[in-house]
Amino acid sequence: MAIELSPEQTADVRKHATTEPAVVRIALIIMVTVFLILFLLFPLIIIFTQAFSKGWQVYLAAISDPDALSAIKLTLIVAAIAVPLNAVFGIAAAWCITKFRFKGKSIFITLIDLPFAVSPVIAGLVFVLLFGGQGVFGEWLFENDIKIIFAVPGIILATMFITFPFVARELIPIMQAQGSSEEEASMLLGASGWKTFIHVTLPNIKWGLLYGIILCNARAIGEFGAVSVVSGHIRGLTNTMPLHIEILYNEYQFTASFAVASLMSVAAIFTLVLKNFFEWKMDKGMGEKA
Amino acid sequence: MIRLTDISKRFGNYQALKGIDLDIPSGELVALLGPSGSGKTSLLRIIAGLEGADEGSIRFDADEGNELEKNVGFVFQHYALFKHMTVFENVAYGLKVKKRKDRLPKKVIREKVLELLKLVRLEGFADRYPSQLSGGQRQRVALARTLAVEPKILLLDEPFGALDAKVRKELRRWLRRLHDEVAVTTIFVTHDQEEALDVADRIVILNDGKIIQEGSPDEVYHHPNSPFVYNFLGDVNLFKGRLEKGKLHQGVCEWEINGDIVSQSETAVGFVRPHDISISRDHALKDSVPAWITYIQAFGKSVRIELKRQDSEEYLEAELSREQFTELRLQIKELVFVKPNQLHVFTPDDYVI
Repeated sequence: MAIELSPEQTADVRKHATTEPAVVRIALIIMVTVFLILFLLFPLIIIFTQAFSKGWQVYLAAISDPDALSAIKLTLIVAAIAVPLNAVFGIAAAWCITKFRFKGKSIFITLIDLPFAVSPVIAGLVFVLLFGGQGVFGEWLFENDIKIIFAVPGIILATMFITFPFVARELIPIMQAQGSSEEEASMLLGASGWKTFIHVTLPNIKWGLLYGIILCNARAIGEFGAVSVVSGHIRGLTNTMPLHIEILYNEYQFTASFAVASLMSVAAIFTLVLKNFFEWKMDKGMGEKA
Repeated sequence: MIRLTDISKRFGNYQALKGIDLDIPSGELVALLGPSGSGKTSLLRIIAGLEGADEGSIRFDADEGNELEKNVGFVFQHYALFKHMTVFENVAYGLKVKKRKDRLPKKVIREKVLELLKLVRLEGFADRYPSQLSGGQRQRVALARTLAVEPKILLLDEPFGALDAKVRKELRRWLRRLHDEVAVTTIFVTHDQEEALDVADRIVILNDGKIIQEGSPDEVYHHPNSPFVYNFLGDVNLFKGRLEKGKLHQGVCEWEINGDIVSQSETAVGFVRPHDISISRDHALKDSVPAWITYIQAFGKSVRIELKRQDSEEYLEAELSREQFTELRLQIKELVFVKPNQLHVFTPDDYVI
């Protein structure tokens, strides 16, 4: 049976089928906005007002304090080592998973996700149990005069463990979607494995890779739990920025604490902008897929 | 010559290829034809060296190569063009990645690429990106890119699969001409029997990981060795019956059969192509069956007629020339007499293959 519908009627039907009533829409928008203001914008403003509450001089003094500078330096060093290594590991892991067939692949994928599942404190403890004084390798390390726990290497290891999944997680779906036929074509045209990677694989994954690196970097700078366990909180030596902020806060130096926190917030905002840019680039790349 | 001996390949629990023996002489244009899952693409990838065979060996003649990987060109089903490179860069890729000592000077590479683009009729497209090309153009870029490294063996995986009918036909003719000009051994995979029959010198028909039949298009079309091949290469009508003294009996009907096969069998099936069926209004007792015309498709150079047998209610399909059709002036729902002219009979033994 055919029912004749006038144009207005069809339009009406469609409107009801695809969108919520105005009341619901407005209510949802208000809810989200209030939530964002309360939990994101407001705290951000607090950080900056607190940081500058005693003026520029105090702010500058807080972030140029030798301990603060050493914390900033250590954080940057840790990120500079952990992020590139994890970028390489992430590419290698994603490559293994997407380009080869092997047994136990799903276990391998689960293992990559392990750092996401495990609490950072436990991750830190694992390193203490392995490399600490009472740990499995403790004695050997002591005899050979190698310090890992309560030293920079431990912080780097813990950070690497925590940030390992970011690059791989980002690359696996991209590389899966692309398949390996472009690489196969390159190899059959006589290119070596390295040339294939540089000329074919890398250009195809570059925005996803940068996106993963940005997220990895943000986490490497901000990691608290695991680093806190292995660092030993030695001022000027093994304190990263998050640890330094905590110490300042516990010592009631609120202004100084918020001053360092404001630096980290700036880094976070910068990260978000970059992340969005890479996302946009990736979508564009996907759209151009031949 | 490429000689494949006893090639087997397994993916997990799935046996893709089961003991393939095949010789491919130099310079031939060969089609690997089969339904999906028949193993044809696996076989092509093994010849290309993209997969290793679990068992068996491949041998290439001296002229085709010790330096195998450089002499096999492969065109992927979805072209696998480098989408971040222009058409020019795509075609030049194989020349540019050569080791420094083997690499041609830049100017020579440029000339060669432009020449290839001319060959595939894409002269004006050097600076375009793959996303700016149509399917047929991408296909031709993929071909030019492969030909740039001067392969001795050209492998194509479903080369026309993703193109629309008209472009497909055009590229088919063009591939044939190209093969005759460049003189490379060409092997292509297809599931389209018309494509294989139209283009190839030789057709290798695969099913379920095994070679069922190989031969020239004429051989496999007119002398299929099994019901599978007969079915796969075109439309068929079936006449089930029993064999006695070299004749196929079905109810009151009996037909002479051609070809020498066993003369006695309780069950046998006669295969006949639609164009080998004739329709008349005269009732000849022994070799015609009565049938109703149920549908007439009367456009194009031939007329397809669907019939329903009066006795068994099975459907038949006949193809008449336009002249015959006009002469007979057939009407829908009319009762006519149908006679198979070229019965090709298979007994249950043939189904084992």
